[in-house]
Amino acid sequence: MKAYARELAVAATILLVLALLAATTHGFFTVDNLSDLFLANVPVLIVSLGMTLIILTGQIDISVGSVFAVCSIVTGVAARAGLPVLVAMLIASVVGALLGSFNGALVAWMRMPSIVVTLASMVAIRDGLRWQTQGAWVGDLPASFQRFGLSQTAYTILMLVVAVLLIVFFAVGLRYFRGGRNIFATGSNEAAARILGIDTNRVLFSVFAITGLLTGFSAALNAVRFNQIPSNSGIGLELKTIAAVAVGGATITGGSGTIAGTVLGVVLLGIIGPALTFLGVSAYWEHAIQGLIILAAVSVNVLSHYRRRQVSHA
Amino acid sequence: MLRRLHISAAEVALVAALVLECIYFSIAAPSFATWGNFFEIIRFSVELGLLVIALTPILITGGIDLSVGSAIGMTAVLFGTMWHDGHLPIAACVALSLLLGLVAGGLNALLIAGLRLPPLIVTLGTFSLYRGIAEGITHGAVSFTGYPAGFLHLGQGYFWKLIPVQLPILIVVLAAYTILLHKSVIGRSIYAIGFNAEGARYAGIPVRKRLALLYVLSGIIASLAAVIYVAHLGLAKSDLGTGYELQAITAVVVGGVSVFGGRGTLLGSMLGLFFLSVLQNGMHLMALPSELTGVLIGVLLLAIVAVDRLRSTGTFKVTAGETPLRKRPAFALAAVVALGVVCTLLFHAAGHRNGTVAAGHRLTIAVMPKAKGDPYFISARAGAEEAAKELGVDLIWDGPTSLDASQQNELVENWITRGVDAIVVAVENKGSISTVLRKARAHGIPVLTWDADAELNARDYFLNQATPVGIANALTDEGARLLPNGGQFAIVTGALSAENQNEWIADIKKRVASNHPNLQLATIQPSDDDRDKAFNQTQVILKAYPQVKLIIAISAPAVPGAAEAVAQSGRIDVKVIGLSLPSICRTYLHDGSVQTIFLWNTQDLGYLTVYAGALKAEKKIQAGANSVHVGRLGNLEISGSEIILGKPLLIDKNNVDSLHF
Repeated sequence: MKAYARELAVAATILLVLALLAATTHGFFTVDNLSDLFLANVPVLIVSLGMTLIILTGQIDISVGSVFAVCSIVTGVAARAGLPVLVAMLIASVVGALLGSFNGALVAWMRMPSIVVTLASMVAIRDGLRWQTQGAWVGDLPASFQRFGLSQTAYTILMLVVAVLLIVFFAVGLRYFRGGRNIFATGSNEAAARILGIDTNRVLFSVFAITGLLTGFSAALNAVRFNQIPSNSGIGLELKTIAAVAVGGATITGGSGTIAGTVLGVVLLGIIGPALTFLGVSAYWEHAIQGLIILAAVSVNVLSHYRRRQVSHA
Repeated sequence: MLRRLHISAAEVALVAALVLECIYFSIAAPSFATWGNFFEIIRFSVELGLLVIALTPILITGGIDLSVGSAIGMTAVLFGTMWHDGHLPIAACVALSLLLGLVAGGLNALLIAGLRLPPLIVTLGTFSLYRGIAEGITHGAVSFTGYPAGFLHLGQGYFWKLIPVQLPILIVVLAAYTILLHKSVIGRSIYAIGFNAEGARYAGIPVRKRLALLYVLSGIIASLAAVIYVAHLGLAKSDLGTGYELQAITAVVVGGVSVFGGRGTLLGSMLGLFFLSVLQNGMHLMALPSELTGVLIGVLLLAIVAVDRLRSTGTFKVTAGETPLRKRPAFALAAVVALGVVCTLLFHAAGHRNGTVAAGHRLTIAVMPKAKGDPYFISARAGAEEAAKELGVDLIWDGPTSLDASQQNELVENWITRGVDAIVVAVENKGSISTVLRKARAHGIPVLTWDADAELNARDYFLNQATPVGIANALTDEGARLLPNGGQFAIVTGALSAENQNEWIADIKKRVASNHPNLQLATIQPSDDDRDKAFNQTQVILKAYPQVKLIIAISAPAVPGAAEAVAQSGRIDVKVIGLSLPSICRTYLHDGSVQTIFLWNTQDLGYLTVYAGALKAEKKIQAGANSVHVGRLGNLEISGSEIILGKPLLIDKNNVDSLHF
């Protein structure tokens, strides 16, 4: 039980918020509302999976919001050009993966600090997109674009399946696949991992490329919910995902964290805003409460982390 | 010689780059090489410079402080509250603000040094917390203005009509930090911590005390920057300092400080800061689009860090913490030259694209939107370009890439230096921009405002598309028409701190109270001018306030967002109205999820900005005239010092297809 103390703390907080909502408000626990909330958080969830890998290696990626914006526009432009929606999504994912690979290559083989590399790409990509689109939205999309022509229920179920598959894949992969173990090894002690024969450069490159791919994919999934695409989507996505991973118990210095924790972190941060609206708290305090939750979560994490270390060195 | 002065090869390269940059802009950018411009660059660098100074030693320890920008917002708002509501003397307000900075920095220090939490995550949390406190206290809306002239002098005045008053403060802080970091035992221990924290601890250095000191100091410096910033802009608002943390970190990294810790100097950081400030200033003077700055800074950051890796090691194949093998200034020089070539090409391309490279003595009309990426202003730009072509004048169309009052000031300042023939501004914040607009008028440049007005004596004419009261009344009356039996409604606004929208909200409330008492405002939610966020917020509103029968969305991207949410929920009983553009609402007007949108013809408004600017520049608007002929718009009424564009346009499914903006 002790091994999951951090995840349990987050889960307990979520239950507390939900209990508060159940006791004092109506309408939160309806299928409609929950599926709305789920769909609203799918992009954050998918990108957070990649961000977990990056943070596990002790790196960071603050360019995901800008990559998200570019890939949204790419999806729309490709679809408007007459390509099938699935092909447009594929192209967006590839573009995301390429941008992620660019960051990854600089971090892995050129040994440049990830925060500087991704700060540079964040600014350059966002402003480059603004320059290119001049802020114009992509409209005139084919009728089959919105939700692949599916009904809302079908689309929600599809998203649920995609999200569950991705979560399971990354949770299992991180724990049992060789690549997953290599990520932990690289993040815990890179020099030792190298001596053990792990190509840590390849690990670093891969986590950035995978995150880029996931960002592109989630941008495309989000884009098809609407019939036009704005040019400024994804602002602040990097903060949301990093916060979710940190709240979920991963240590920012690498080597420790779980997919389950990240998913719980996304859930907690995702329900806070709507919960405040339901509770009738003014929207103006949302940022302050979010900040408090992040600080509380990481403080609890570290305290439980120290205690756990003394018991076993898992 | 250089070694004796403790100047490294990296700093020599930076100085060379700065000199080259200045030479380039002196040749290419009009009025760049003047004393006035030089000190203006410094004035706009003071707040950021203070943050750069505070962040340099923190990055040298291998830490980071993302909360400084938010701390500025929080301190500014508290400063304003104390002055405005607490009626405290200015000196007491300043002292209490610095104390607040100490508390803000102290919280970071407690968590980082006390609990040994990673600085990145701690300051990410306080980044959100401090901004949130500022928003919570003011409800985003209030901006405190009306400070005494003596205090404003601190941010806007000059010594001997040339040297900005805040410059000595920057110099004093810089000197103090230089002694702390480069001339004291504490300074040496900071480098030791950055190089190897564990080793430093074994060597008997009180690591946690040193870290705590730096984070506390950083909070105090941020609050000092906030006070100067308030004096500079003449207002205190919750969104002050947004994004400053990243700008400051960028400058520090450009200045050669390693984020791995252990390496860097204050001199380098300041050089990095001025390199970026000069770049921005020069590009504004050349009338290059603001977006290009971001692209360039990104490329520059990568280039500098890459060169740094190469120079210090001669190879990329190393891990962190290795000692430098050899130094290669030649690499740095080659990179600077290459970068120069790239920039020249980029500028050239951008100049052509912007259509500003032109010969002869043509009028130059500078028009500023509130934010460049907003669909509303993009459609106005089409009209502005049409008028520029028709009249044969040069149009500079530039503005902040997101809502940012201080960037508006900086641009106007740059346009004065450049010497444009007329300035036409969509004012983001009345209190903060009026000073610089008066300065433009004092330089003989005609000043017009559009979209939102400045103070009366700060401009010649206001191009009035519709008054806030007119807009609010039209929206509220239309809402009442759609809900004949009354009921609840919700407002989805843009950013919580947007002045325009807060004015509309206030007027909507008044109209409801006076004319439609059976309407009740259930909630106000922000969309941050983001379609997706408006969509999510509307979904939550529909669930949390099931009685709401009407959504009034008062930001252009929020209307399609709200409409999509209503459409997907299947709630045909909920109506959506708002202020938006026909082009992004067309489908929703046709399928019935949006009933009505109001807007004036934005293209006409854009046309009017340039046309009226040119008329005023050529002195073709007579004083006291009660109408003026504006090209294809015909005769427009002048009322007092306002040129009236016309009434707001009611757009519904019947007329939307005839409107193309």
